[in-house]
Amino acid sequence: MTSTKEIITNGFWSNNVVFAQLLGMCPLLGVTTTAMNGIGMGMASLAVLLGSNVVVSLVRNYIPTEVRIPSYIIIIASFVTIIDLVMNAYLHDLHKVLGLFIPLIVVNCAILGRAEAFASKNSLARSAIDGIASGLGFTFALFLLGASREVLGSGEIFGMDLFGPSFHPALGFVLPPGAFIALGFILMGIKWIEAKREEKKAVATPATAAHPEANAA
Amino acid sequence: MPDFIKMGLALMVVGLVATSILAVTEAVTRGPIAEAKRLEILRALTQVLPQGFDNAPDSDTILLSDSRLNRKLKPVTFYRGRKGDSNLGAAFVVTAPDGYSGNIDIMLAVIPGGTISGIQVVAHAETPGLGDKIVITDWPQSFQGKTLDNTKWGVKKDGGDFDQFAGATITPRAVVGAIKKGLAFFVENEGKIFQPASTEAVK
Repeated sequence: MTSTKEIITNGFWSNNVVFAQLLGMCPLLGVTTTAMNGIGMGMASLAVLLGSNVVVSLVRNYIPTEVRIPSYIIIIASFVTIIDLVMNAYLHDLHKVLGLFIPLIVVNCAILGRAEAFASKNSLARSAIDGIASGLGFTFALFLLGASREVLGSGEIFGMDLFGPSFHPALGFVLPPGAFIALGFILMGIKWIEAKREEKKAVATPATAAHPEANAA
Repeated sequence: MPDFIKMGLALMVVGLVATSILAVTEAVTRGPIAEAKRLEILRALTQVLPQGFDNAPDSDTILLSDSRLNRKLKPVTFYRGRKGDSNLGAAFVVTAPDGYSGNIDIMLAVIPGGTISGIQVVAHAETPGLGDKIVITDWPQSFQGKTLDNTKWGVKKDGGDFDQFAGATITPRAVVGAIKKGLAFFVENEGKIFQPASTEAVK
């Protein structure tokens, strides 16, 4: 059984929805023109993930296996609708920007993925932690991509001008192709960090380097 | 109990619970959503209408439709700003069907006699950094004080009075065209537009 600490590092980093699983690409690429949009979308997804994980975990022993997927989808869709309505009512401006993408959280396979792979087999507390960790991991990825596109594409961060009027931003990064390019470079960076860490580990503990840790992948 | 009944029951319970929770959420958020939308319209109205109206333009409205307002003849709400008995101006949304990517909705406020007091782009899907200069620069202010007669309605490239942007001519051309048509409609129908609130008026 995985420890709480492992659930957190798995959700946030080593099994990150975006960096490791490459799920949720549609909202990821669609909304991340600014850092703030990324955070907003990330937090909305986090709320849905937490809610659906908790409820799926609660009902996991009562839903017959044959109909579990449709039930999970109803649960997820309900949470998305709730978030949609609540954001529309109380965060109207952000909702206007993200509007189109909020309903699409339903089809973010990362959320169904966590429900099926984790929450349906684990206790309430562990599922909640997993939901928060995965949600934060997703938010972090959205923020990273949003921030880099905003800096490169508009020369701003959180709407603040960074380089003054003489700076000509690379407009392409705000446009859809820029999303793919920026994501590619970020993934490259992540893989590089991972490779460095592996190397260090191998050097530090040469005796256990061959330990079958690899099956976690 | 046969399995299929169990499955059906499980799905039914999930569906029922989900629907009731959603119904409650909808009922709770309905008011705030309507209020947020009203404030949004009011904010746009205060920006485009002349200062000093003492009525509530967002509820003093009339619906009119014309092919010059939008191609689909969708009824357009005219928000009237009044001070006492005098008409200060009316604001309404015109739709430019020929933007670079899709429709551009522009709120346009006109003073009686047919002078523009302000415009604001309310919805568009133009290219960020190029076409969206119609929103993020002070280009919209160049419409202030324009009438059908004192202005050559077109972008400079077409021999008109309005600036286009480097790399984006289609967007400003579409906006200028839509505003000109909206203004022409206003001038011809001024009487109708300012007629007192009737039962037709939509809240």
